[in-house]
Amino acid sequence: MADRAKFIAGVTAGLGRTEVLSPTSITETAGFEDAATAKANAVKASIDALERSKDLADQMAEEAAKAGWKVHRASNSEDAVNYVARICIEKKAKSVLRSNHDAIDQIGVEAAITNAGATLETTEHHGENSQAQIEKSKSKAFSADIGITGVDYAIAETGTVVLHPRSGLSRLVSLAPPTHIAVLRPGEVLDSLDELFAMERNDFMSGELAGSMNLISGPSKTADIEGTTVTGIHGPLEVHLVILADE
Amino acid sequence: MLKNTTVIQRPDRVTLFASCMVDQLAPNVGENTVEVLEYLGVSVDFLNDQTCCGQPAFNSGFRSEAHPVAERFIDLFEKVKGPIVVPSGSCAAMVRNYYGDLFRNDKELAGRAKRVGDRLFELTEFLSHFFGTDAIAGKSDGYATYHKCCHLLREIGVDEQPIEMLVNIEGLEFSPLERADVCCGFGGAFSVKMPDISSAILDEKLDFIEANGSSTVVAADTGCVYQMQGGLRRRGSDVQVVHIAQVLAESIRNRSTSEPKR
Amino acid sequence: MKPLTVNFRSKAALTLADAQIQQSIEHVYTGFFKGRLTAAGETPDWENLRTKGKAIKDHTIAHLDYYLGLLTDNVEKNGGSVFFADDAEEARQHILDLAHKLKIKTVIKSKSMVSEEMGLAEAMTDEGFETVETDLGEYIIQLANETPYHLIAPAVHKSRADVARLLDDDYKDGDRVPDATELTMMAREKLRGVFERADMSVTGVNFAVAESGSIALVTNEGNGRMSTTVPRVHVAVMGMEKIVPSIQDLSTMLRILIRSATGQRISTYVTMVNGKRKPDEEEGPEEFHLVIMNNGRQKLLEDPQLRESLNCIRCGACLNACPVYRKVGGHAYGWVYPGPIGAIVTPVLTGLKDADNLPSASSLCGACHDACPVKINIPRMLLELRYRTAEGSTDKVERTSSAKERGIWKAWRMGMMGRKRFDIGSRIASIALKPLSRNGWLKKAPPPLSGWTSTRDFPVIAASSLKSRLKKRSGDLK
Repeated sequence: MADRAKFIAGVTAGLGRTEVLSPTSITETAGFEDAATAKANAVKASIDALERSKDLADQMAEEAAKAGWKVHRASNSEDAVNYVARICIEKKAKSVLRSNHDAIDQIGVEAAITNAGATLETTEHHGENSQAQIEKSKSKAFSADIGITGVDYAIAETGTVVLHPRSGLSRLVSLAPPTHIAVLRPGEVLDSLDELFAMERNDFMSGELAGSMNLISGPSKTADIEGTTVTGIHGPLEVHLVILADE
Repeated sequence: MLKNTTVIQRPDRVTLFASCMVDQLAPNVGENTVEVLEYLGVSVDFLNDQTCCGQPAFNSGFRSEAHPVAERFIDLFEKVKGPIVVPSGSCAAMVRNYYGDLFRNDKELAGRAKRVGDRLFELTEFLSHFFGTDAIAGKSDGYATYHKCCHLLREIGVDEQPIEMLVNIEGLEFSPLERADVCCGFGGAFSVKMPDISSAILDEKLDFIEANGSSTVVAADTGCVYQMQGGLRRRGSDVQVVHIAQVLAESIRNRSTSEPKR
Repeated sequence: MKPLTVNFRSKAALTLADAQIQQSIEHVYTGFFKGRLTAAGETPDWENLRTKGKAIKDHTIAHLDYYLGLLTDNVEKNGGSVFFADDAEEARQHILDLAHKLKIKTVIKSKSMVSEEMGLAEAMTDEGFETVETDLGEYIIQLANETPYHLIAPAVHKSRADVARLLDDDYKDGDRVPDATELTMMAREKLRGVFERADMSVTGVNFAVAESGSIALVTNEGNGRMSTTVPRVHVAVMGMEKIVPSIQDLSTMLRILIRSATGQRISTYVTMVNGKRKPDEEEGPEEFHLVIMNNGRQKLLEDPQLRESLNCIRCGACLNACPVYRKVGGHAYGWVYPGPIGAIVTPVLTGLKDADNLPSASSLCGACHDACPVKINIPRMLLELRYRTAEGSTDKVERTSSAKERGIWKAWRMGMMGRKRFDIGSRIASIALKPLSRNGWLKKAPPPLSGWTSTRDFPVIAASSLKSRLKKRSGDLK
């Protein structure tokens, strides 16, 4: 049985040293950037996202489509809601699970979804996280027809939606149902992975790193059989990106 | 390409390193190399005592046998001044990129090796760097394609220049080979140690050569030339595999005038 | 996993003769290799990213002891447990004990080469746990009772009919073969229930971030996400070298990993978890365990000539570029890691004696070095290993060359040490081979060249050497 000290001492010896050496060099990795630098990088990324929000939204639409999202640019809230309702009808959805993102409240989907014949449920437990609640949440997600979320960020470079699961945003809502709809608002799109990880690192340096993070870039897929790409192996078969207009 | 070369000016005299394979198996490649260089106004010296750079033993792991042969190479070639030209990418790579590893326990010898390596060029590298790929521009005919020998491509960094030289030959119809940069399967002793794998890789190369339809395949390393030619002959194919030195020399001879370039 | 590398030559021969596998492996070139080239071509600062990636890994390995400590502190701070395993057996036993202790019934596995080193899935099945591979390729080979063929595409050698036989309960030979979509949907159906009832997951780790105690998983299918979400216990297993110092480093590493592996700009899912679920979360594991394994990596670490192999981020690009891998396939290598990187780590991690064939199974073409996202100089290390097996340069490595081979190279050296004997040797060979040749070529040569002439004609030694020709040509050549 290897204990920590012995294991690491072995590594030290393997490197030809007798003591652990704290790295001092500052160029190779971002691990040496201090909190102020991390904050500055994050602020820069946020400002960029706001200032270029139209261009970034355009780029996001283009890249997301390439990545396999079905992209809908909504002219207004009503248009967005009608799109969601159309999907519910098309999928003959009975149950729709939602996150508590503001974006969904902003467009107001409840009525339209009910009219489309589905029940809209939230993923929030309101503070009760017993094992029983968790099992209930799990089975809700696995039997839901559609999961609808906002986004915490999006990444234009790759057509990616970023979610930080937390209370009100279950990990499964964007994974278990066969259809996922993500509602994106202007100003939420970052330029690239660099900006995303700048935001994440700043969160970390301020002690606010989310418990987990999921980057989603299209429908679930595999090419394990004869190299043929097939969508919908374990995650959603269809993912929709509804981009709201600047209102 | 040789970034730190100590040869700055276009030289008018070089020393030829044949390589053991050219010396023993394909001396015509050496003669053609001399012919091409002389055409461009470069005098060529030949050290009669030369044998081998040591690569075969080194690649098989027998460094204690490679070491004295390589040291002998350095002893011999450091005595001449000026550039050394070798019609083989793998030998050039051995001297420039691997002598350092072979001599890693002898700093002085490694230093001497580096100084020799800094003025050692593979043939097409030498020609394209100091004279340009349009310097020869001879005449030929027929349909040719080009295989990119691995060491020349990845260790020496010569990629499209030989193709440009071929394209500049009047009357030669060039068509690019599909998967030209995929190995022919030679790999020195590998071709004999694991002949089934070597031949399977070769088969794929030959399939692409036959699909290409050219009557001639040009390459810059003798080992690869023989791997491909030997396989094509076994298939009963008429396709000829020739060293680029031969193609260039022939193109010079075919010109209506054969005055030296300079 | 028990190494079967001793069978390399015979397994390779079987694969070379298998036309269906040869056709299947083509995808490795046309899909993955070409994909990487396209993706690299579309990335304006690709070479800078490679340089940066190499710098991050060089730095991390040079300070691996420090970063292991930092990673452990942070995983524990997030409420997770870290287990240090000297070898695969210890790691496997720990996970089995954990599963027993926590009264686990169903285990889902996401793709992990380290878990293959442990033979974990079989061991867990043998101990009575329902253990299911959830990556489609791994699931297929689990059903086939085989080992992975490729780092990224474990079932790349299987045809659709092969998969139908394994996945489709109704399929019989002679039926219409279901297409890839139909087969994939069958797998989705079969695995759905397993995901729902799984109480433990075992995943690999693409990158462990030392400064935050996070682990990052790169997947396309969604099984990685399922694995970090549904079961109450999440066990992540990693080789000790899979660390990056900072969250920000992920931006570089993800870019080069994913483009090099499949040619995608980004995988469908990138998941970063920072330990077990937070108190107010809807779901997620109650317990997070990180198993950090050595299993022989020490030997690579200790060896300055081989240490660079620890930079590997397991993208598979070297496999896709390798003309040898593309002919002999993944199983011939006999252990977890095939291809060029496998030819280095297998001999060292499993003990050089049985695996000394692997470093020789290369034409040294260098395509792997070109392809590697972190610029690992694989050919140099293959040559180093050939040196060790030929002449045994350290006390840990056994010389495995035969007396005959050593004798051949001794004779070669003697023949190269003087021009006279060089010429005499050529004359003798020329005279000996002449009767066997026609028009300057041999169809059948004696050993050691008989291997050559089994498939190719061999050129005879020239009648006169270059030296004599140049002498004749121009009397004043020195």
